[in-house]
Amino acid sequence: MAFVNFLVYLAIMMGIYGILSLSLNLQYGFTGLANFGQVGFFCLGAYITTIITLTFGLPFILGLIISMVVAGLFGYVIAIPTADLKEDYWAIVTLASAEIVRMFFLNEDWVVGGGVYRGGAFGVGGIPQPLKSYFSAQSYPFFYFMIVLICLIATYLIINKLTRSPYGIVLKSIREGEDRLAQAMGKDVKRFRLKTMAVGGMFGGLAGCLWAHYYGFISPRQFLPLETFIVWAMVIVGGKGNNKGAILGAVIIIIFYHSTRYLKDYIPVEEVTLASLRMVAIGILIVLVMLFMKEGIIKEKKPVY
Amino acid sequence: MSIAKGPVAPGNAGSPACSRQENGTGRRQIMLKVVDLYKSFGGIQALAGVSFTVEKQSITGLIGPNGSGKSTCFNVISGFYSKDGGEVYFEGQKIGNLKPFEIARGGIGRTFQIAEAPEKMTVVENLLLAPKDQTGEKIFNVFFKGTKIKQETGEFLKKIDEVLNLVQLNHLRNEYAGNLSGGQRKLLSLARILLFDPDLILLDEPTAGVNPTLINDLVEAIQRLRDERGKTILLVEHNMRVISRICDKVIVLDSGIKIAEGTPKEIQNNEKVLEAYLSGSSKKQLFHEDTGS
Repeated sequence: MAFVNFLVYLAIMMGIYGILSLSLNLQYGFTGLANFGQVGFFCLGAYITTIITLTFGLPFILGLIISMVVAGLFGYVIAIPTADLKEDYWAIVTLASAEIVRMFFLNEDWVVGGGVYRGGAFGVGGIPQPLKSYFSAQSYPFFYFMIVLICLIATYLIINKLTRSPYGIVLKSIREGEDRLAQAMGKDVKRFRLKTMAVGGMFGGLAGCLWAHYYGFISPRQFLPLETFIVWAMVIVGGKGNNKGAILGAVIIIIFYHSTRYLKDYIPVEEVTLASLRMVAIGILIVLVMLFMKEGIIKEKKPVY
Repeated sequence: MSIAKGPVAPGNAGSPACSRQENGTGRRQIMLKVVDLYKSFGGIQALAGVSFTVEKQSITGLIGPNGSGKSTCFNVISGFYSKDGGEVYFEGQKIGNLKPFEIARGGIGRTFQIAEAPEKMTVVENLLLAPKDQTGEKIFNVFFKGTKIKQETGEFLKKIDEVLNLVQLNHLRNEYAGNLSGGQRKLLSLARILLFDPDLILLDEPTAGVNPTLINDLVEAIQRLRDERGKTILLVEHNMRVISRICDKVIVLDSGIKIAEGTPKEIQNNEKVLEAYLSGSSKKQLFHEDTGS
């Protein structure tokens, strides 16, 4: 049973990271926005839903919607000063803004209601799990997986629809044309970038919300910049510019990330060392993919008209 | 759209000036007016007080040696560079401080000297980018006006077929633009601008790198744009045969200054132009060189 539980846990992680990866794929894979602060949206979503459901005692669904809205707004706002800048500046600004979010929740413990050993670096526990009372402790993860799966499918469908629409064609031209082409065709490139950051941010927030309610405990330590790079690895390995690839990337990286747990039985290395080797493993995977499958495992799909 | 096919009036190609249509008053209206334009890059004065006008339904050529300010002039008119001084008027409105996309939406379309061809977008996708104000460009509409978007896309695809036949790129329709040759990219950008359908079209070296037979077709297509669809065209071009064949008026720039203006014939005989432009080589060579070789 323990192994089944672990598989369900893995599946939930794949779903949550799949949403993050789809969201980054929209921003980076389709629009060319180097968002190095994906974890910022994730963190924001997790904290907002905690405040909504725990501090205010409102239902999960409200926490989910409000965390998406807030994270979306945050994406829009951080894009305003940078929308006209080149890719490398985006990377710096987004990286910094994610750190701002984390630092904010690390230092401002009152936002989660205060209390002794609560908020700030202590984190927040006791985040309610939706409809928990209707399930046994054994069966609840399966139910939660269904929630995550529904969210993942919805995210996939929405982003897929967007990227295949005329809106998506403009995004691609922004990615490829260094702005000039889209501008010459009368497209307000800045607005498209803002909107895309907002939509991507929304889904980042959704992932954060699902994460918080699954773990029941969040702390700023869970939202280090490293998380962003794991999501990047998913997009790069899976295939940027392909939504199925983004999900596949999430699946593969999650498996790699958690495989070390069982590797200790086969390799005579200390557990601590193995744990740090997981990042090495992901690094090697990225290098291999870049060498032999430059466009990722699933290439960007060429639309045929 | 009727540019793709249809007969060209015989004689048009030889003397386009005869086919101009004049408006009621017998005078041609001014579409674009550039007044005393200045632009410098560091120590280089790219434009040092350039003024000229472009009349409605005309083809105006902008020529000059390399570095004379032609492309800078295009970039300032289309808003990609901010001007240091002077003003640009389009249909009587000041447009000098507008953003590129606003100018484009206002009716000035342009191509680029080095043709923009998004690598990972197919030829058709490139052209689907062109139509203005598409319903599907808004996120809300993508989810709630699906049928309208489908219908629009269907119409665009029909027009795209026409234009692709014109520029002879139909066999490459589902190829990535990044795999096209330089000349084909030029054709693609011309096709894109045809679909974008602006009132004033700025063409930056439309025939550079295009094979001679196709140049003839392009020249005819450009003429038809003026004659049949009432478009106004301003073009930068180094191919003097093209210039003297289709331009109603030619403006000559040198070192950021306008040194001459007139019909292609007048320009050919202008001593100043010959001096600046040819820098030694004979006039005969310039105006009668073969297009392709």
